[in-house]
Amino acid sequence: MINHSLSMPDTPLDASTPDGYRLISIGQYAHILIEKQAIIRNTWLLILLFCASVITLGSGTMAISPKEVVAVLFGQGNTMSQFIVQDIRFPRLMAAIYTGAAFSLAGCLMQTMARNRLATPGIIGIDNAAMAFAVSSVVGMGISLAPSFMALAGAATATALAFGLAGGSGTRGYRFIVAGIGIGAIAGSVTQLLLSQVSIDVANSAYPWTVGSLSARDPFMVNVLGIGIAICVIGCLLFSTQFALLPFSDQVITGLGANIKHIRIIALILCITLTGLAVAVAGPVGLVALVGPEIARVLSRYRGIPLISSALTGALVMMLSDLFGRTVLSPIELPVGIVTAVVGGPYLIWILVRRSSRSSL
Amino acid sequence: MTPTALKQKPNTFCASLSADKLTLKHGKVSIIDQLDVTLPEGQVTAIVGPNGCGKSTLLNGLSRVHTPSSGVVLLDGKDIHSLPSKEVARRLALLPQDTLAPDGITIEELIRFGRHPHQSLLKQWAMDDQEAIKYALHAADLEGLKDRLLDTLSGGQRQRAWIAMSIAQETPLLLLDEPTSALDLGHQIEVFELIRNLSRQGKTLAMVVHDLPSACRYSDHIIAMKEGKILTQGSPKDIMTKELVRELYGVDCDLMPDPMTGSPILINIRRLRS
Repeated sequence: MINHSLSMPDTPLDASTPDGYRLISIGQYAHILIEKQAIIRNTWLLILLFCASVITLGSGTMAISPKEVVAVLFGQGNTMSQFIVQDIRFPRLMAAIYTGAAFSLAGCLMQTMARNRLATPGIIGIDNAAMAFAVSSVVGMGISLAPSFMALAGAATATALAFGLAGGSGTRGYRFIVAGIGIGAIAGSVTQLLLSQVSIDVANSAYPWTVGSLSARDPFMVNVLGIGIAICVIGCLLFSTQFALLPFSDQVITGLGANIKHIRIIALILCITLTGLAVAVAGPVGLVALVGPEIARVLSRYRGIPLISSALTGALVMMLSDLFGRTVLSPIELPVGIVTAVVGGPYLIWILVRRSSRSSL
Repeated sequence: MTPTALKQKPNTFCASLSADKLTLKHGKVSIIDQLDVTLPEGQVTAIVGPNGCGKSTLLNGLSRVHTPSSGVVLLDGKDIHSLPSKEVARRLALLPQDTLAPDGITIEELIRFGRHPHQSLLKQWAMDDQEAIKYALHAADLEGLKDRLLDTLSGGQRQRAWIAMSIAQETPLLLLDEPTSALDLGHQIEVFELIRNLSRQGKTLAMVVHDLPSACRYSDHIIAMKEGKILTQGSPKDIMTKELVRELYGVDCDLMPDPMTGSPILINIRRLRS
């Protein structure tokens, strides 16, 4: 029962850091708390990512042994393997890692912000709008902008619309999601309409934008995405203590002295940038944004907001999906968007069916 | 460190909270109109009144969650909306009704969030933080439960954990929106006694309460509201009358002093006959 006297307990007080955390101090200027579990988890994910990369680099029409792949990565190996690994497979691998990480990180952020696990950029229509803008550029609607940048513009437009229509994210994000689904549907049908109005050749050249594929990536955009991810990850780390407040109600967040509007705007900008750039590279592969954070959450036992882990699991899912799509029906190649849809669709049904007490749905 | 270090640090600033001609609207509907109110320092204030009378809106206005259409809320004499939010959060804590929490959070982790206004980007942890958390766990009597998951606790324990979070915030002011409305009798008492203890520590508290007898018993000052206006305010003994109860809730009752505490208790409550 309540301790009326508030007498002091006998145990001595130690001003240690909380259990499970490590304090990193830089003189008197910085004291940063880092969760030990997160370090271990992310190290394992990085190791896994490296192993999967080696397998991916070795798989294909010409198989290369893992040993040879590692040799090539360290600047050795024979010329043929060097050419295949470095010039053919490596750029595609990096595109998979970047896009997977971007989609998944954006998904985790948006789910957290909307307080709803359904609220990923793909579901709320950002992918579709980015696609519609890009396709409109490809089929030449009198707009001569590069499709990649049109994709980014589409992502921003969709988010702004969804947010505007919903009047903010609301308590549980339902309005935001419903508005977004509507915008996604409209953008999807605009894409179909555009494709049905042009010649088959033009439609074919726009096709990769509509399924999500890593075979038609723009090397320049891959690099832009790489830089974009680096910036966004730094942003996530800088604002991690603020983002950690997002699952609370608006009143609690305000009560704790944080500016809910600022936090939301920062999170939204990160989401739009990541999703827009990722769609510009690989087209709409949005289901990674649903699956990646979920795996990360299970791995972190639902503690905290696993932003970095989400990026890593997303990269893994994307890489393995692309590997699967590339090899399973070889020489026919399945676009990665189709593979993730095949994996992600049933998964979506599963989280809807599973009535877990932890589920925020 | 000596055990006495657990004593809460004296608050270095005074803590006055008042509203001056405060008008709060939901959309175009005016909920509270031109209201003047001052929370007596170091006391427990209970805001009572029928459903929809604007109690919670007033509390949200006082805690800067609801932006006023006109008038000001003054925290230590300054407009609360002109002060940096973090600075306000070091003087005033709020426990809202809707307490959504992150999945899988433990009691200690929840309480740690109370330290947010004392931390910054680069100073995420200090000696003070651990002391404040220990103190909060102790004051809310949650030491044995600190590693339990929040959603595995009873309603009363959970509410105490939320209050502990605001204790860790180390503010001289604490506002609570219906802290006991979802709790059974035993758990209500747990929470009310904790609130009373906090006031004995020198905190100024204000709470929205539905249960009039509890308000009389556990508060020093009652603000009775109806239709966005203050009907009357003062100590429970002074203001609690049959007429007030009838005016507020439309019920008849008799009042008698509690033989143990002297605070008024309501008996023979019945529907008003016209």
